[in-house]
Amino acid sequence: MATDKTNLQLIANGILNENPIFRLVLSMCPAVGISTTVMNGFMLGIAVLFVQVFSSCTISLFKNKIHPRIRIPTYTLTIATWVTVIDMVLAAYLPEAYAKMGIFIKLIVAFAIITMRLEMFACKETVNASFFDGIGMGLGFMFGMMSLGFVRELLGQGTILGYDILGFKPLLFFVLPFAGFFCVGLMMAFFNYIELAYKRGKRA
Amino acid sequence: MRGISLFLTVIFCLTQPLVAAAGGRIAGQHFGQANEIVVSFASPEASDAVSNPANYRVVEEQDPDIRLEVKAVRLSEDHTTATLTFASPLNQRLPHLVSLNASTAASSESVRVSKSYLGYLFSILISALLINNFVFTKYLGLCVFFGTSKRKDTAKGMGVTFTMVMVVSAIMSWFFYQYILKPFQLNFLQIVIFIGLVSLTVQAVDTVLRKVNPALFNAFGVYLVLVIANCVIIAVPLILADNEYNFLESLMLALGAGGGFLLALYLMSSVRERMELAKIPPTFKGVPIAFIVAGQFALAFLGFSGLTLF
Amino acid sequence: MKDILTIIWRLTVACLLAAIVMGGTFVFTNKAKKENALKNEQRVMLGLLGYSKLNPAPATVALHEVYRYVVSEGGRQAMGYLLPAKDGGHGACTLVTIDLDGKFLRQSQVTLAADQLADTVARTAAVQAALGQGATLRYADQTVVVTRDGKRVAYLLPGKFPGFKTFISVILALDQKFTILGLEIMEHEEDPGLGGEIVQKYFKNQFKGKGIETMKKIEVVKTPLPADYLKALEAEPGGGLGADEVAKIQAQYQDKDIYALTGATISSRSLTNGVKGIVQKFAYRLAILDRVVQEQKISVPF
Repeated sequence: MATDKTNLQLIANGILNENPIFRLVLSMCPAVGISTTVMNGFMLGIAVLFVQVFSSCTISLFKNKIHPRIRIPTYTLTIATWVTVIDMVLAAYLPEAYAKMGIFIKLIVAFAIITMRLEMFACKETVNASFFDGIGMGLGFMFGMMSLGFVRELLGQGTILGYDILGFKPLLFFVLPFAGFFCVGLMMAFFNYIELAYKRGKRA
Repeated sequence: MRGISLFLTVIFCLTQPLVAAAGGRIAGQHFGQANEIVVSFASPEASDAVSNPANYRVVEEQDPDIRLEVKAVRLSEDHTTATLTFASPLNQRLPHLVSLNASTAASSESVRVSKSYLGYLFSILISALLINNFVFTKYLGLCVFFGTSKRKDTAKGMGVTFTMVMVVSAIMSWFFYQYILKPFQLNFLQIVIFIGLVSLTVQAVDTVLRKVNPALFNAFGVYLVLVIANCVIIAVPLILADNEYNFLESLMLALGAGGGFLLALYLMSSVRERMELAKIPPTFKGVPIAFIVAGQFALAFLGFSGLTLF
Repeated sequence: MKDILTIIWRLTVACLLAAIVMGGTFVFTNKAKKENALKNEQRVMLGLLGYSKLNPAPATVALHEVYRYVVSEGGRQAMGYLLPAKDGGHGACTLVTIDLDGKFLRQSQVTLAADQLADTVARTAAVQAALGQGATLRYADQTVVVTRDGKRVAYLLPGKFPGFKTFISVILALDQKFTILGLEIMEHEEDPGLGGEIVQKYFKNQFKGKGIETMKKIEVVKTPLPADYLKALEAEPGGGLGADEVAKIQAQYQDKDIYALTGATISSRSLTNGVKGIVQKFAYRLAILDRVVQEQKISVPF
């Protein structure tokens, strides 16, 4: 049952229609916890992209050999393997970025989004389609994290990617972790608003 | 009433000083004010030896060669306790060693002064429960949190199931870490092993509950699957491996994590149930307003930051 | 039955594949991780001494590592200092055991190549071998003695102490008279924006230039930083303020207490007390070690 979307459509789907953070409301923990700067969001986004793509491809490659009854343990094992790999690679080659992310890289293994995507997409589709779907999901996650990081960094520290834009620190509040809750809630409401307005526009 | 008195007794016992090793002149020792150590003797001491600051040798356990200067020794009226005063405040978080060199005895006697161990365990529990609450302070386990906090009974079910699985899997992870991962230097397998243990625990609890107590299974079984998607369940073994906790400390951490999650869920569900009756703008209905409420809870829990007991 | 066998077989194969992938990555990345960590530490240390990529350290500057262990033998404890060999490249390091009151106990030869010094496992094994089976070791800390043309110019002390939340890990640079040359914060878990500001220049640089007598009595005051001091602390070389102006302002505030961070008094106090402890304990221990080395005529490269 191959998908009828083109590769580009798959990617766009991951970023807009089925954006993991804002639409599917999954993998919230890092969104709230460490989206304090754009750089953090970018790095974690890369990590999730890596894990998602590789896991999707691996499962898609072996999809005929996975016994249905041990589906979930197999997904978990695959995800855990790739998370360990990216964890080790980051710790070795990018230690400062790794230190900032702390425990969240290891927690990627518990992200529901990746398991769900494997269950719903990768075990039924070709390797090619899974690859692009994985990229779409990873990019969607990165987009969500980076937009949150953008808002929080700009309003909290007045900088973007470390470059001073505003020249002063507006509200320290946004850098503190719990502001993540507020920001995510507000951004979700914003997305909802857009969707409602779009629907209302269509009806009219 | 009996529960309250039992609880108070436990608290009272936790604040009692540690008892020194059997025998010897010193019967007990504990920290006093910021720059004091109080030593109690087995029998009233008459000699001047115990009031002479030069006869005491006090060091922090980790730096045994740096002597801390005893400024003065004050003997109590019945000569059973001596209060040693130091020039600068002691770092009471660290254990100290006090040796008394009496001219009459052949060798000196050394005792260890530290804060109560039970108090330390209790502080780990409270820390995981309130101060470093996994949902509101560490921002873990949020997906499941928002999913199951709509009603009070789902919240309670999820919280209790989670605590059970948390304690069992934390203990198993501790065993694996201490006896298999550490000795063979397989630390990079942490993630796989821990998540594997969690899946195993969930499966085991599922099977056991189904057979042993079907009524309980009907109430809580449906939440078991959600436990695996909870970030906290793997965060706790990672933390206890990182901090090298021993068995009791890991148990306290797991209990605190589970309890904290239950508390967070309960609080959230109470609010969300009432919010269903409130007038909320359509764009905020559902998850966005839940996030904002969670943010306010996180703000409130920030008040616990830096709280130190014992 | 066949079903279960297939399941077990497939699961085993999957686990083996996973193990191979992870094991392979581990072997590759572990070496790189250790090398990077070491290079980072060296870069920070040289930075504290004033050297950087644009101003590299001359060949006359050498770093000598001294490791301190707590040795427990027969119910008694002693300090073991692992000193590097005089000629640098060749095998034998010396382990000097000094008892808790500063008396020399003994001197042992430790066979350890220069590049193995950084490897914790090899080093501990070699020291244990030199002491024999009856002794238990506990690693305490490391000091780096910096010499230029064989004469001591600075000391670099990595240290770790409790902060507001968990631990703060620092590297401190002292000159020969134990005046602080600089302070670099390696790891901390303080609140971002509050306690996390200890890494900012206007806090860290307050420690620069404080002598050991000042450090012994130093406290933390909760008044705001004076404007001219703030400018001097944040001054970049080649920036607005001239070097001698900066030096003048710094000299003015040299013996004053540390100004706390806004909203982070406990973090400021923890850092100050931690640095105070490191400096005092080091000065005490170095005096003892120097006396013993001189009395016993042990040959050391510094």
